[in-house]
Amino acid sequence: MIIMKIVKVKKATVPLSKRERKRYILLEVLNAEVTEKDFYFGFWIELLGFFGSKGLAEIAPKIVLFKNNKAIVKCKRGKEVELIAGTAFITKIRNKKIIINPLLTSGTIKTLKEFAKIE
Amino acid sequence: MDIVFAQPLKELLQVSTYFKEKLVVLVNNETQELMAKKASLIPCYLVSEDSKDINKLSSKKKAVVGGSIKANEFAVRIKADFLLQPANTKQFFDLGLAQKLADNGTRVVLMFEELLASNSFERHQVWKNFIEVARYCKLKKTKFIVASGCKDPLHLRPTKVREALAVTLGLSSDLAKKYLEEEMK
Repeated sequence: MIIMKIVKVKKATVPLSKRERKRYILLEVLNAEVTEKDFYFGFWIELLGFFGSKGLAEIAPKIVLFKNNKAIVKCKRGKEVELIAGTAFITKIRNKKIIINPLLTSGTIKTLKEFAKIE
Repeated sequence: MDIVFAQPLKELLQVSTYFKEKLVVLVNNETQELMAKKASLIPCYLVSEDSKDINKLSSKKKAVVGGSIKANEFAVRIKADFLLQPANTKQFFDLGLAQKLADNGTRVVLMFEELLASNSFERHQVWKNFIEVARYCKLKKTKFIVASGCKDPLHLRPTKVREALAVTLGLSSDLAKKYLEEEMK
């Protein structure tokens, strides 16, 4: 009779120094009150229309936080300029005319939260 | 510096003040010029080949809407301050023209509103042509800016965004910033 031994292997985590670098951008939505869900859809549709699937995958944007009409968006380092350029194409969310104003770019969320006074 | 068409000035001023930006307003007649001046905006006459009395405007700022070989050459001939949309879905811009514009100190302008208004197929053609325009401008050191070019104040774009658009088109970030921040003489 063979006895199988189950060994639990600890999942290897990528060390901090070897992880891909990222940038956080603080965006402000002007002229209309927008919910998080609406912003999410408006944001993705316009960016996808301009960059296409491949381009958007390379930028890898992710909405980290949305509060008080301010959003923190994460993207790959070096692609933040492209992401800011892409936001120019977002003119409407749910038929409300809006302007997206990029306020600050940083390497940490903490700085952006302090700048925007978001808890 | 941003360029927009003549429009109701109250909302326009509100938005531009928020963005802390100097606006150049494209005007067609003296009434519009006076209104722009009253609102402490910079008026700029929109001129075409059919315009009469161009000589009268010699001391004023002039802008020409390009988009054809004739219109682009006209902008060179009258030494316009701005050449708007030198290319569209077709390319009418070349190195020779870029050199002449650089000698005259004319700024080449991409009107973002027109890019926004075009459909997805046209948009890629306009974008491709403007990548070429930006490359020629970079080679010949012609000033190139991206402007909102809107008729609605809510289509005004912040400087950071327009700078990012110029960088995406191929300009270096220093040049894009320098050209946008340069004051009008």
